[in-house]
Amino acid sequence: MSLDKIFSPKSIAVIGATPRKDSLGRGLFKNVLEYQIFKKEAKIYPINPNRKKVLGKKTFSSVLNIKEDIDLAIIAVPAQIVPKVVKECCQKKVGGMIVVSAGFAEAGGKGKILQDKILSIVQKNKIPIIGPNALGIIRPPLNLNVSFSPATPKKGKIAIISQSGAIINSIIDKSLLEDYGFSTIISSGNEADLKISDFLEWLKQDKETKVITLYIEGITDGKKFLKAAKEISKTKPIIAIKVGKSEIGKKSISSHTGALAGSYEIYKAAFKKTGIFEVETIDELLDSAKVLVLQPKCKNGIGIITNGGGYGILMADYCENLGIKLAKLKRKTIEKIDKSAVMHPAWSRSNPVDILGDASPQRYRVAIEALLEQENIYGLLIIETLQIMTKPIENAKMIIEAHKKYPKKPIICCFLGGKLTASGIKLLERNKIPNFLEPKRGALAMKALIL
Amino acid sequence: MLLDFNQTKKILSKYKIPFCRSEVFKSKKEALKFAKIINFPVVLKIMASQVLHRTEIGGVKIGIKNKEEFKRAFDEILFSTKKKKINFEGVLVQKEMKGTEIAIGMKRDEIFGPVIMFGGGGIFIELLKDVSFGICPLKTPEIKEMIKETKIYGLLKGFRGFPKVNIEKIIKIAQNLSKLSLKDKKIKEIDLNPIICNEKEILVVDAKIII
Repeated sequence: MSLDKIFSPKSIAVIGATPRKDSLGRGLFKNVLEYQIFKKEAKIYPINPNRKKVLGKKTFSSVLNIKEDIDLAIIAVPAQIVPKVVKECCQKKVGGMIVVSAGFAEAGGKGKILQDKILSIVQKNKIPIIGPNALGIIRPPLNLNVSFSPATPKKGKIAIISQSGAIINSIIDKSLLEDYGFSTIISSGNEADLKISDFLEWLKQDKETKVITLYIEGITDGKKFLKAAKEISKTKPIIAIKVGKSEIGKKSISSHTGALAGSYEIYKAAFKKTGIFEVETIDELLDSAKVLVLQPKCKNGIGIITNGGGYGILMADYCENLGIKLAKLKRKTIEKIDKSAVMHPAWSRSNPVDILGDASPQRYRVAIEALLEQENIYGLLIIETLQIMTKPIENAKMIIEAHKKYPKKPIICCFLGGKLTASGIKLLERNKIPNFLEPKRGALAMKALIL
Repeated sequence: MLLDFNQTKKILSKYKIPFCRSEVFKSKKEALKFAKIINFPVVLKIMASQVLHRTEIGGVKIGIKNKEEFKRAFDEILFSTKKKKINFEGVLVQKEMKGTEIAIGMKRDEIFGPVIMFGGGGIFIELLKDVSFGICPLKTPEIKEMIKETKIYGLLKGFRGFPKVNIEKIIKIAQNLSKLSLKDKKIKEIDLNPIICNEKEILVVDAKIII
């Protein structure tokens, strides 16, 4: 079943669009209308039998009253009416549907019966449906926001598939203050019909998507998920966070999306089998996604360069815990640095490479180039602590230059500081070199890059 | 339903899973004859489907080194079954094995299908939860990775008096279990615990198969 009409619609019907202030139906319709600003030929129809106009657009009392074809129908009406509306959409032969209404399997009992009812209707008609209890979908590169999210994020290369809508909203808001964006955001809701595995298959061919992130409460189609994830992770890295590991967590899942949380140990095995990178926090999910967008993947064997001994050791500890191997310095590498004339004679001569507190940009350059030249060092973690003689902007320039010379070896920076370091960090990030303000985050980001 | 001893042995042999030489006897004379064939020391275990923990009723005798000890142990088991009014189904005679205990199991996950578990035997599995899981079908490198994830791996490589064992043989058992899980769909769960490993051999000492 093709999902193209859902993800690249030429016409959208918003069922339950309303002018009522602070209502979901208004927010949703407002988001959908933005699509027309950039795509003039797109048709958008508000459906509401009780209103004549919504935000200046003439309403229809039913999709059946629209003459033109409808690619995507988004449904935001009370749960009891949803089966009737879904039936009408099937009669209209829409290309696909999204049900944002809540009160289905997640509410138990009667809700589950209602959900089964809409599922049997769409299955009979072979029309794909997202939800119910979903936030909707957003595709920033197309300026398409068919959701009731409070804002549209910037466009980027990260895709999100989430079984929670609220988490998506927080991530979007957070991303607006930072320097990353999204290719596709999908809230899968209760997954009555379309599931994470279906969306993975669709994202496989989506040219805008480079990295896929998953928020998982429970998988119901295990075999299909394994097959899809294994196939797609070969070309597009998949990062996942699985919630409901604790007993209390599990309980809130069953009352949340109505999915059965499998044993966490088995999920871990499934992630391992399919090459999914598992993380524990939403920050880690975004950190690793960002770094996978910006930097190439590499073999296990990295170098640490630092102007602060303590942070070097700390970073080495984190690396060891994560299974990141620190390469041993070859004699040739040590000699090269020794002979450079700019290095302090007391430099560490081992990995982590401590170039000492008074390190100049030149010392950074010499160490970085020597390490990148060593064949079995596949990537670098570069730490900068702020001393009175430290020059963050100059150091950033050295790093950017070196990365241009060795584009296949990833560099992750930990310029540690605040106000006085900010300009250096900005320069790094503008040149697609990620910086983390905490070494542990830097180490985890490197782990995400290791093949 | 739990398969009985002979059915269990049959399934394991079908999938080339090496089981420690053992037979069930009702007659003491026949049992002793078998013990002499497999050589002392041997272990005796009561066979009684109504008993969950054999050790708790004195139904397991270990370290039996000769004929005299054998006869005494056999009588003691018979006596305790009579005293506790347990339906006597026979006594299992098994060669006593020394080595590192591990456990391998299979269960069917309702979401991801058959899953293989690997872990340390005895307290390693119960107390330290030293186990790892893999989803079937499993390839050799995946099983190797599963074994390496556990703490017991350190012992299997040979550590202070613990014998260095042939990991390939352990991998083979897990792989055969993975094959079994995909072929014999009526088998719901398998527990090979313990499997005893030493320099010479790796043998399943106790197995439970649930259909």
